[in-house]
Amino acid sequence: MSETADRTSMTPDRTMEERIFDWIAVYGMVVVLVAVLVAAVLINPNFFAFGNVRNILSQNAAVGLVAIGATFVIIGGGFDLSAGAMYALGAVVYAKLATMGIPILPSMALALALGCTLGLVNGLLINVLNVNAFVATLGSASMISGLAFIISGSAPIMARSVEGFDTLGRDRLFDITYSVYLLLAMFLVMSFVLHRTAWGRNVFAIGGNREAARLSGVRTTAVSVSTYALSGFFAVLGGIVIASRTNVGQANLGGDVALNAIAIVIIGGTTLFGGEGALWRTLIGLLILAALRNVFDTLSLSNAAQLFAQGAILVIAVAMDAYVRGHRSR
Amino acid sequence: MSSIPSALMFESVSKRYGAIQALKGIDLDVAAGTVHALVGENGAGKSTCLGITSGRVVPTSGKVRLAGVEAPAGRPREIRNMGVATIYQELTIAPNLTPSQNVFLGQFRSSWGVLASREMRLRYEALALEIGVAVHPEIPAGRLSVADQQVLEILRALASGARTILFDEPTASLARPERSALLALIKRLREDGYTIVFVSHNLDEVLEISDRITVFRDGQTVADVARRDATKHDLVHHMLGDGKAAAMVEDVIEGGGHSARPVSTEEVLRVANVALPGVLSSVSFSVRKGEILGIGGLVGSGRTELLRCIAGLEPASTGRMEISGGSVAWPRSVRAALSHGIVLVPEDRKGQGIIPKLTAAENIGVGNLSRFCSNWNVVPRKLQANTAGPAIAYGFDSRRLTSLAGTLSGGNQQKLLLARASVTNPRVLLADEPTRGIDVGAKAEIMESLRNLASEGCAVVVVSSELEEVVALSDRVVVMNEGHMAGVIDGSEEPLTISGILKMAFGVEEDAAPALRNEAVSRGTA
Repeated sequence: MSETADRTSMTPDRTMEERIFDWIAVYGMVVVLVAVLVAAVLINPNFFAFGNVRNILSQNAAVGLVAIGATFVIIGGGFDLSAGAMYALGAVVYAKLATMGIPILPSMALALALGCTLGLVNGLLINVLNVNAFVATLGSASMISGLAFIISGSAPIMARSVEGFDTLGRDRLFDITYSVYLLLAMFLVMSFVLHRTAWGRNVFAIGGNREAARLSGVRTTAVSVSTYALSGFFAVLGGIVIASRTNVGQANLGGDVALNAIAIVIIGGTTLFGGEGALWRTLIGLLILAALRNVFDTLSLSNAAQLFAQGAILVIAVAMDAYVRGHRSR
Repeated sequence: MSSIPSALMFESVSKRYGAIQALKGIDLDVAAGTVHALVGENGAGKSTCLGITSGRVVPTSGKVRLAGVEAPAGRPREIRNMGVATIYQELTIAPNLTPSQNVFLGQFRSSWGVLASREMRLRYEALALEIGVAVHPEIPAGRLSVADQQVLEILRALASGARTILFDEPTASLARPERSALLALIKRLREDGYTIVFVSHNLDEVLEISDRITVFRDGQTVADVARRDATKHDLVHHMLGDGKAAAMVEDVIEGGGHSARPVSTEEVLRVANVALPGVLSSVSFSVRKGEILGIGGLVGSGRTELLRCIAGLEPASTGRMEISGGSVAWPRSVRAALSHGIVLVPEDRKGQGIIPKLTAAENIGVGNLSRFCSNWNVVPRKLQANTAGPAIAYGFDSRRLTSLAGTLSGGNQQKLLLARASVTNPRVLLADEPTRGIDVGAKAEIMESLRNLASEGCAVVVVSSELEEVVALSDRVVVMNEGHMAGVIDGSEEPLTISGILKMAFGVEEDAAPALRNEAVSRGTA
């Protein structure tokens, strides 16, 4: 034991190989994004046309918001599979409240508060009752999804007639939907929160070495629980955006949202092990997936092929992460 | 030499881990059918020896022969097939399988793919009968006592056809009656012709059952004696070596670390009846302002757990605590301990100390970021500028504050952790193995830092396996033995010496002690 511990006392000199892998670990996904964009222009010369870019962003704003929340949970060393169900619940609750005659903003606020609360429950299950994060959020996903079906009576809640319901998802400022501004603003604000506030740094600390953080006096349970609450908030916000964009609140639209959000985070280069990552990486991951999906659409690939391709990309991204991790300096 | 080849033979075996030479050309000869003990201080090379024998560790140079045949280096499976089994301190029992399934783990007997449970059970019972043990064959192994689980490991070794069995600290986790049962079993195995190699810290046991004893120090064998020629004092002396004997002399003459630093009479922390079920019982001591209190004792004597209890990391612990004379609730969380001004610098630097992917500056500030900059705007440059003070105070190069903590050397990581602990302005600093795995230069700096902390009025409690360090640093030493306090040595009343601590920890009789000290003095001055 003591013999092996001695090895830590040497300051390693990085080899050329390690330097290359260190660089790839940091900037690899930026290179991938550039490659995807170049390929996209080659396939579709109009890829960078204003209309196309605007559509891409608008289509992906909802899942992008969910991914922001997922980033915090993953950096904090956790995992939230319930984001998809939360997203559907957000859409349903927002539509339900709005069609009941409650004004738009209070409807949104109530839905968001519900998302926070359910996220909080997830966090407590995981941190206080010590249920494995994967199992806890898999179970709560099912319950939340059930709740969404109950609230919507298993039927789409049409909200076209509600004044202002679709403002966020459809109305435009400078020909760009509000949801895109919301997405970009959230990236900026949450980037600051993650990277520049004590709470954000504590998220990194608990994800990187929870025991060390605890010994240093960080309220590890509170910080971890709050990341799940944040994830619930952003999942519902994503649901509100999609409901507003489609004028419908539907319980069955959560489907692959949670996995897509996690895929975006991982593809961006934030590791699943926690303690490491950045919000700009999530933006890169979002843009890679969004651009690819757009290219697939121009190629008119079938849904099945898209599904397959997206899964393959996720697996390749994680495998690359593991490979690079094994070769970089420690 | 007898005509039977030695069961195990090392021919100038060396092992180097990076810059650390763990073994320096070891020769070892274990005669077949004997019990051979390997003793030495922590890090002397005993475990590396076991690792090499079992094939888990690949030697840098040298040969290992098993019953005369050269062993394939670093091939655990092949070595096992050559009849060598190793039983580690951490047992490898599958808790949900039955004892008999555990014994045949990896070599399940089956016919046509169906487990031959009956055959295994019969064979299990035959084996158990052979060495005279009785462990119920059908209850989940996880419910058995540690001692019974160890018996299963031994049965597994026998079932695999082993003729040589290596034990790493087999008795460390056993209670006294279980110990004697295990020792009896080892004797019985020897009678049946098996060869036993075992590593132990317990010299009484070593003297009781071994035929031959090899003493390790700093990666070399310094003595290889037959039991009848060995005494406990000789063994301790060999383990310490001339250098340490010299240091001991220095301590005797100069009074060790109990030097110019003034210790106030003001008591900062007093704990009484600290207990942790199964580990610690009724430990009581106090520390004064400006005092360095060493905790001496062997690995496994409860030193680390004692610190963890006081730091609020063992919710199951009980005890009474007084801070500056006022009684407070026993801390059951880290934050409770921190609120009393008690901070722990943990033993496991990697696992519990640093946060590898954060910068050095953040590692100093973590948990206390508001002391360096606003909680709502953690500006990296500001954090670096403001943590530079504590960093420099603990000998950390402030230019490396932007490096990720995981890329730093052990010494620098330890300086970070001390700096982190210091920013909370602790009343009591608990340092567990503060110099483990650290190079000599950094070691001196860290010891100096601990002294400085004490002179600034902090009460410092240090656990270290390096007894010279304990002696050099401490004003008083609490000696632990198997979860109890064996005693306290006060440096202001009698000189602190390594032999004094060891005697107390090993329970060596008082009358023999002067001989050891005199011998050390004469050797050191020669």
